Amino acid sequence: MSLRRRFRRAAWDRERAAEMETHIAHMADDLRGRGIEPNEAQRQARARFGNTTVVREEIYEMNSIRMFENFLRDARYAVRMLLRAPGFAITAVLTLAVAIAANAAVFSLVDSILLRPLPYPNPEHLAQPVAHVVTPRGSGTQEAIDGAMWEAIARHVTSAEAAVYSSWESGANLATGGQAYHVDQARVSADFFRVLGVAPAVGRSFSTEEDTPGGPNAVVLSHGLWQRAFGGDPAIIGQTVLVRGEGHLVVGIMPEGFRSFVDGDLWTALQASRTGQGGGTNYQALLRLEPGATWSAVSAELSNAYDSLGLPSSPNVSRTWGVVPLQESLTESTRETLYAMWAAVGLVLVIACVNLAGLLIARNRTRAKEIATRIALGSGRRAVVRQLLVECLVLAVAGAVLGVLLGQVVLDGLQGLAGDRYADWQNVALDWRVVALTFLVSFAASVAFGLLPALQATRVDVLQGLREGGSRGASAATGGWTRSALVIAEVALGVVLLVGAGLLTRTFLSLQSLDPGFDLTNIVTANASLEDSRYETAERTMALFDQSLERVRAVPGVESAAISLGLPYERILNLGFRPLDGEAVDGIALQRNFITNMTYVTPGYFETLRMPVRAGRAIDDRDRASGAPAAVVNEAFQKMYYPEAGAMGRRIRISGAEREIVGIVGDVQQGNPGWGDGSGPLRTTPIVYLPAAQTPAATMALVHTWFAPTWIVRTTAPVPGMDRALRDAVAAVDPLLPLAAVRGIDEVRAEASASERFMMVLAGLLAVASMLLAAIGIHGLISSAITERTREIGIRMALGSSAARAIRAATTPGLMLTLAGLVIGVLLARASVTYIESMLYGVESSDPATFAVVAGLLLAVAVIASLMPALRILKLDPAKTLRA
Amino acid sequence: MGSRKKADAARGDMMQGTLDMLVLQTLVLGPAHGYTIADSIQKRSDAVLQVEQGSLYPALHRLEDRGWIASFWGTSENNRRARYYRLTPAGRRQLHQESTRWEQIVAAIARVMEPAERS
Repeated sequence: MSLRRRFRRAAWDRERAAEMETHIAHMADDLRGRGIEPNEAQRQARARFGNTTVVREEIYEMNSIRMFENFLRDARYAVRMLLRAPGFAITAVLTLAVAIAANAAVFSLVDSILLRPLPYPNPEHLAQPVAHVVTPRGSGTQEAIDGAMWEAIARHVTSAEAAVYSSWESGANLATGGQAYHVDQARVSADFFRVLGVAPAVGRSFSTEEDTPGGPNAVVLSHGLWQRAFGGDPAIIGQTVLVRGEGHLVVGIMPEGFRSFVDGDLWTALQASRTGQGGGTNYQALLRLEPGATWSAVSAELSNAYDSLGLPSSPNVSRTWGVVPLQESLTESTRETLYAMWAAVGLVLVIACVNLAGLLIARNRTRAKEIATRIALGSGRRAVVRQLLVECLVLAVAGAVLGVLLGQVVLDGLQGLAGDRYADWQNVALDWRVVALTFLVSFAASVAFGLLPALQATRVDVLQGLREGGSRGASAATGGWTRSALVIAEVALGVVLLVGAGLLTRTFLSLQSLDPGFDLTNIVTANASLEDSRYETAERTMALFDQSLERVRAVPGVESAAISLGLPYERILNLGFRPLDGEAVDGIALQRNFITNMTYVTPGYFETLRMPVRAGRAIDDRDRASGAPAAVVNEAFQKMYYPEAGAMGRRIRISGAEREIVGIVGDVQQGNPGWGDGSGPLRTTPIVYLPAAQTPAATMALVHTWFAPTWIVRTTAPVPGMDRALRDAVAAVDPLLPLAAVRGIDEVRAEASASERFMMVLAGLLAVASMLLAAIGIHGLISSAITERTREIGIRMALGSSAARAIRAATTPGLMLTLAGLVIGVLLARASVTYIESMLYGVESSDPATFAVVAGLLLAVAVIASLMPALRILKLDPAKTLRA
Repeated sequence: MGSRKKADAARGDMMQGTLDMLVLQTLVLGPAHGYTIADSIQKRSDAVLQVEQGSLYPALHRLEDRGWIASFWGTSENNRRARYYRLTPAGRRQLHQESTRWEQIVAAIARVMEPAERS
């Protein structure tokens, strides 16, 4: 039956009516031909034809779509049946909904971040240069370039348009109309927006002149900042605002919703050069393929560009230039996490489906009588299977609707949990694509996993089914193996998820258990951007430090205060140094440069953090600009560079001066410095602490473009309103210097392991869900097996078997299946943990303790899930079961 | 499914199939409208088979639905606008199948009936 005809039923009916009228007219014509008077002929013909309406009705019904209408009827019936078994229906719908919610939320993230093209025209033509570097110690990729390489790229690469930006995003001070704002700034070259393919909504991008070192200052505002700070007034274009303490001409405003990977509240011209930032690899280039050009041509041009620099090459190090698609390079930090999450929620979905199949098998068996009756009454097997599948579809619809609603909640939760760590997750929403896919998955899953139980349920011996009604007789073996396989699968998948969650938990715990190296209690921190023309001289910077610290120390409850460039738990500045005396590392000659980490500190820093001074002295008031150049190093520094003779009294050249090491302090945890051996988000790393007063102005100006100095305050007890007091103290010295967020040191610490905590919580929740599902599956299996065998058990007990033996017999199969599942699961887990290996720190991926705990936990769950229904045997009255 | 099932049962599956076959057979001679079809079956069976109008039109609809006959509007011999039906190639094949089956059934019934007559 065509759909067209169903919906044209009315027109069709009119035609049929006309046709039958013709028939009656022909009949009357005949009667008239036999000499009957016309009116009478008409009457007789009509009488003989009978009721035309009945015929039309019949045809009308024939025009209805059978399948469609059957489906509606089946669906109504299914809803009625499900309402009659609310326990089953709720379990099934919730199982589906939870799995679907997790999948919808994670897929939203995967879809919008990894799968959907970037929001720029022809995003497939956008890429970044990347160097594959192979050294004897390992290989890696490098996307960062320096000013010289950028100039070479601009000269040699003709097959693509190129732009450059600073990969460092930092805070900056914006002052306008007496208001000071701490804003996020990004630095991009004049061509950046054009290469991306997005033009400013108002005004223009930077001119070439503005992008030349020493050129006029200009700024492009984001739509958000324009609204927030300037009330969305287009007249701001052409006016001058204070950015970093200098007047900048507002030249453009980006469109609303514009996002790039160097997002800020505002953009300033990069003014790329070979000095300052450009002296190191702090830039990244952006390429857009010219029409008709190929990426391989671009790669060759990049190689030429690099060769033109004439850098000394080592035969041991090979460097191959190529490009990496922009989306791939932008999602580098988040991709692995997302794929791991996707795999985990996918597993939960599979477990949920397996569980659903188990639930359906159990339910169909309790309905054996109903099914047998329907087949006996002439309903075809196909019709019964269809009916059972329609029930699955009803469950799928309910599960999907609830799942999408819950998915929104899960997505909100994920975004909250991800926080700043995964900033690009924040704009993601559950959209129609995700909803459509969710429904599709839900339908496919419930039909696929509903078909087997339905086929099994309808393969019944009608007579047997009617006579026994599924409640009497010896245990029926039919369907047993499928359910057993389902339980094994559930347990095995549960092991995989639990092991993953266990390893991630151990990773987080091992990070948490690292010795901080200082006293974390009652410390508040806040930073401010000193990338500001008003703080270009050391005198002004030191005046700010001294005066603001003096005011902070006067706040009631403040025990001590200090300022440093970097904080524990954060990544700090990499800086080269040269040992001037003593034995250098590995006997390598002196006068060679080594890399270390540097932070400048004001007097009182080590006291404020309560870091132990192991030898010599801390940095104190002696270390003025006029004093002897001094440095304090940590134990990790001593261990790495002066393992034998010790570092005390050694002379090193660092940050433009020869300094004496006057003290050695204990190690604190820092964020990954990006060099050295080992990975992991936290570690103790060599550090040189310089007195702030002895840090050259040029060094300060450079490092302040990347790092914002931090005010650190220790109070005797938690002080309410410390936030305000700290801001007021700094504002009293410089009202145009806004502090960024004021944070407790525990927040700083939490941020350092935020992604590990995120993965732990997520994997933990999923693992708990999978364990619950496995428990439901085992419980259901044992429970229905016992229900089916009630009579058999009754007979055995009447013949003298003890209840204990009956319980043991009843629970053994479940436990055997669990053991089988555990073995398979452990093998699967061993194979699959390699995928999360790079997220693990402080724990081996094959950690025996984790595997043992997981196996023990699942076994315990299986025992409980089996015992709960088996204990019903105790309440059995053998006499009753025999009569039943 | 209920109401239709009952209607089918009342009329009998055999009768329905038979009517379909008769209609197809009638159309072998050429296109005809409903009245002619009913009239022709009646006349050719010497008025033994009375075609119920209530069965004829659903049957025509069903046959058309299955693609065995096709319909078009034309003008009848009495100058009336009438819906004509003609046999499709699929209908011709169907007719051949049904008449073969019919002959088998008739022969089978005849064989069953014979001994009863003899005894």
